[in-house]
Amino acid sequence: MTARSQELTTTAALRRLLVEAPPMRRGLIVTLLLAALGTGTQIIVPVVVQQIVDYELLDPAGVDVAGAVRRGLVALVMMFAAVFVRRASLLRLVTAASTGLSELRVKTFRHLHQLSILHVESERRGVLVARVTSDPASIQDFMDWGGVGMVIGAAQVLLAMAVMLIYGWQLAVMVFVGVLIYAVLLAWFQRILQRAHDQVRLRIAESLATMGEAISGLPVVRAYGAESATLDKVEAVLEEQFRAEFKTGRLGAFLFSSAELFAGLITAVVILVGVVAGGGWGMSAGTLLAFLFLVTLLVEPVQTLVETLDQAQSAAAGVRRILNVLDEAIDVPDPVDGVVLPDERLDLEFEGVRFRYPTGDDVLHDISVRVRAGSRIAVVGETGSGKSTFVKLATRLLDPTAGEVRLGDVPLTRVTFDSLRDHVIFVPQEGFLFDTTIADNVRYGKPGATAAEVQAAFEQLELGDWLAGLPDGLRTRVGERGGQLSAGERQLVALVRAWIADPELLILDEATSAVDPALEVRLRRAIEHLTEHRTSITVAHRLSTAEASDEVLVFDGGRIVERGSHHDLADSGGVYAALHADWMSSTG
Amino acid sequence: MSVPSSTAPSGLREALREGFRLIGTFIRNGPVSYALAAGGAALFAAAIVAAAFVIGDVTDSLILPVLDEGVSSEGLLWPAIAAVVGVATWKAAGITLRRTAAGWLQFRAQTDARIGLIDRLLRTELRWYHRQSVGDLLSVTETDAREATFILAPLPYATGATLLLIGTVVMIFVLDPIIALVTLGSLGSIIAVDIRGSWSSFEAFQDVQRLRGNVSQVGHESFDGALTVKALGREAVETRRFEAASEELRDRIIDVNRVFSTYRVIVEAMLSAVAVLVLIVGAFRTRAGAVTPGDLVTVAYLLTLLFIPIRIVGFVVWDMSHALAGWRRVQRIHESAELVAYGGLDHRGDPTGAEVAGEAVAFTYGGDEVILDGVELIIPPGQVVAVVGPTGAGKTTLVTLLARLWDPTSGQITLDGRDLRDFARSALPGEVAFVAQDAFLFDDSVAGNIRFGTDASQTDVDQAAALAGATSFIDELPDGYGTQLGERGTSLSGGQRQRVALARALVRRPRLLIMDDATSAVDPSVETQILKGLRDAELPSTVVIVAYRRSSIMLADEVIFLDEGRIVGHGTHAELMATTPGYAQILEAYEVDAVRRAEENSQP
Repeated sequence: MTARSQELTTTAALRRLLVEAPPMRRGLIVTLLLAALGTGTQIIVPVVVQQIVDYELLDPAGVDVAGAVRRGLVALVMMFAAVFVRRASLLRLVTAASTGLSELRVKTFRHLHQLSILHVESERRGVLVARVTSDPASIQDFMDWGGVGMVIGAAQVLLAMAVMLIYGWQLAVMVFVGVLIYAVLLAWFQRILQRAHDQVRLRIAESLATMGEAISGLPVVRAYGAESATLDKVEAVLEEQFRAEFKTGRLGAFLFSSAELFAGLITAVVILVGVVAGGGWGMSAGTLLAFLFLVTLLVEPVQTLVETLDQAQSAAAGVRRILNVLDEAIDVPDPVDGVVLPDERLDLEFEGVRFRYPTGDDVLHDISVRVRAGSRIAVVGETGSGKSTFVKLATRLLDPTAGEVRLGDVPLTRVTFDSLRDHVIFVPQEGFLFDTTIADNVRYGKPGATAAEVQAAFEQLELGDWLAGLPDGLRTRVGERGGQLSAGERQLVALVRAWIADPELLILDEATSAVDPALEVRLRRAIEHLTEHRTSITVAHRLSTAEASDEVLVFDGGRIVERGSHHDLADSGGVYAALHADWMSSTG
Repeated sequence: MSVPSSTAPSGLREALREGFRLIGTFIRNGPVSYALAAGGAALFAAAIVAAAFVIGDVTDSLILPVLDEGVSSEGLLWPAIAAVVGVATWKAAGITLRRTAAGWLQFRAQTDARIGLIDRLLRTELRWYHRQSVGDLLSVTETDAREATFILAPLPYATGATLLLIGTVVMIFVLDPIIALVTLGSLGSIIAVDIRGSWSSFEAFQDVQRLRGNVSQVGHESFDGALTVKALGREAVETRRFEAASEELRDRIIDVNRVFSTYRVIVEAMLSAVAVLVLIVGAFRTRAGAVTPGDLVTVAYLLTLLFIPIRIVGFVVWDMSHALAGWRRVQRIHESAELVAYGGLDHRGDPTGAEVAGEAVAFTYGGDEVILDGVELIIPPGQVVAVVGPTGAGKTTLVTLLARLWDPTSGQITLDGRDLRDFARSALPGEVAFVAQDAFLFDDSVAGNIRFGTDASQTDVDQAAALAGATSFIDELPDGYGTQLGERGTSLSGGQRQRVALARALVRRPRLLIMDDATSAVDPSVETQILKGLRDAELPSTVVIVAYRRSSIMLADEVIFLDEGRIVGHGTHAELMATTPGYAQILEAYEVDAVRRAEENSQP
């Protein structure tokens, strides 16, 4: 991740947000004008008070009731007209924010799928999901409540000040100076509150992690009788969180009440100066009263700020994290004017290929190998030998750091994604299934396949009886991540999915998890059918797979150290022979 | 994802009734902080009324005489200023007291609710626990416990606001009953509209929550399957799927805000209108000589001050509905979670393996499906026994019962002739150690994970790690035993996690060690070494392992062969091979397949 956007100031992050999510800035000016206009309602009351007091109640000719009624009715009509303006401005704000955020969320989602981090750093997936779920949600929460409040509050302060200017500039200037002094104090104090909120967030993260552990680790806690130790630990972090939250609440209370004190002081100054000097400035009693009412309008926006500061911070942090993702360059891009591969089996060639992850040493050193069209290759080696990286390069899930991978003499980097995915299918170790039916999961390999085609695929792989044993056959729902099926059964469905996609080159990472022997037989036979009549590269974890291959590539320390048929290698006394002996001992 | 809508109150009336009951519960749990907070709110309310009087008084006795009639301000000025500043300080003090005490009330209730939940969960039957989704339990302790207590933030304010409203109306009655009646009627209708609006928005908001869950579900699933998505080139399809979920959420958010902002602007306009209405009525009353202009200013000022307090009533209804939904989910755990019952037997810690026996043991999950039935077994002290059987035979269930993680539906399991259910809460872990396939490690050091609640010495930890085949990789970790493992131990590989988990069991020197496929991710040769080590070490343990590899099974003294919830064979490997056809079938599945393939190949 680049550190660049992490350092963006809040305003810079906000500007970028408006660039990345155009609907947010569309019509923004009109919206703000409407908000300002709508906020004018607040001003009607002080103005009407001033006018009714000055002109009707204090009319030297006695109280002018008819005039007061007339003036009051005009004010009422204006207020109800303002209802529509206010509603329109609120809705425009929320619509722009929600539409912009939805676009931003989809944009981030698409971008993440184009990056390799999702499958290279799989442990970070949970964190990355937050970029399209909780981060936009925190921005939305702020926009719906605090953001709208802040816009309206700012409009309210500006309007109040503008009206003050009209009533009497001398007094208005004094109020402005007061507001300015308070604003400086507020900004300083707000930083303290911000730090307190940061503390709270840290404590929350800590207590969530501890509670999460206690709950998901419950069977272990029970098995080892560690209930009271666990509860003590949870209590300790929760009490820490309580102290941080209470402290922040206290700071907020102080800041919140300071707005009242400030308003009180300003009111006192207004009365003092107004009474002493107002007459000289030609100020009427009504005008001074209007000032007192206007000063109360300055309190609420400050208090809104206190209430929404935490939200604003979370939202700004969310914006920065999203921008970090969007700033990440796509590491394996779809070529412009790419080549479409011919519809036939092609040789796969690695020439001088090296690979390293951005953070580490070389995982593969100088790999050169040619896989003939139609051959069955088994790739073996210990964990960390580079065999998984090898197959990821062959499918262009990653691009080599140096050297080139070619399919039928065309560099993979030149082949269009569509053509490449037509030609090469990779079946990962974990057969990942989506939370839908068996049929839909198989169709993922060939969108638009008919039920009959899917059924036929199961039959062709000799899995018809397995399918028939399921409660709803093809329409059986597999549950979240395929949880209703066993690991081996998920692998079966993944194999059918690859079969129906009908690639020329099949790349298979054999599952390591222990499965029922009966299922093991099914898997083996399905894989056999699947690899017939096509080129296949299998990362083998089982002896029988290596035995059945045309050629075995043995990886060790990021290099191909041996290659040849199973029989030749098994007797050679090398790396493969050692692996072989290991297998023999475990299957007895 | 949980389905929160089912726990939300279904009608406004119901929400109000239950809401007040919930509030009552919270107040009883924190009477002092509530009293302080409500006191602060009342103080604030009184200050507002006082402020209005001060402004009215200042108008009549200072502003009008000086600016309108040209009277000298001598002697009038400073008392007025002092009153204004004094009232503001009074208000600030009220706010500080209210918010501070309300913060205590809310955060304390949240902390207590969470501790209560975790305490309850730690004591529940695992059988109940396994029927729940861990994600749901987490979201109840995290989100629902927080939301249930949200109501406590505006509650004292609302109490104060109610007092303020009453105070205002009483005060206006004193000034002029006609104006008071107009005010009372207007404020009453405003509150009614506000409550109705809050409730409608809340109902719509439930839907937004559901759709948020939906977006997050699609996101999680798609990212978890990222490799498959990419391998099949389906990024565009996934993006469209996510876009559909995202846009549905967007539309619903806009809908909610349409309802919400409509009510909001209407209520705000009504509040302003009341001030004007009072002025109009006041003009009549002034002419009639019933009130002074100063009185009228007091009333109008007071009404503008009511602007925020009166809205709090609407917020309380919103928060109350929210809190109720959360609180019901919290309560559901307290009510449904079945607690484990313990006996009084202490652990004896004999230095020998335990004798394990099962008598007519049966187990079901409550449905029709029988998981275990009529299981009879005796395992002599110190023996190593392998449990073998096809998927779904009940292997994991059986060993889970042996560790008393669950209880049998009928029949009993004994350790040295003592029923497992008669042991005291802390006694059984001293006798039995259970190692699951899924090696759950905690965010702690390696040594901390192995000790986990015991005070084992470093020598004991070393020995346990050595037996578990973990020494070599632990030595290579940056800080050895002191290395922090991170959340769920993700910095280790699956096989390494399993070995640490095994060491955690061994360090307790259990009299019965149960391993449920606990070395599945360990390389076969290493696994064999570990199992041989366990067999040869002078452990005071009886060992029961659920195993899938032939090499592991052959290391056991005896094998229990399970099929469809019954023990169909119990004896040495050789005996079972000879007497139990199903057993032979399982172990020979590879060979059968190899033979079949050879036959097919030989046919022309």
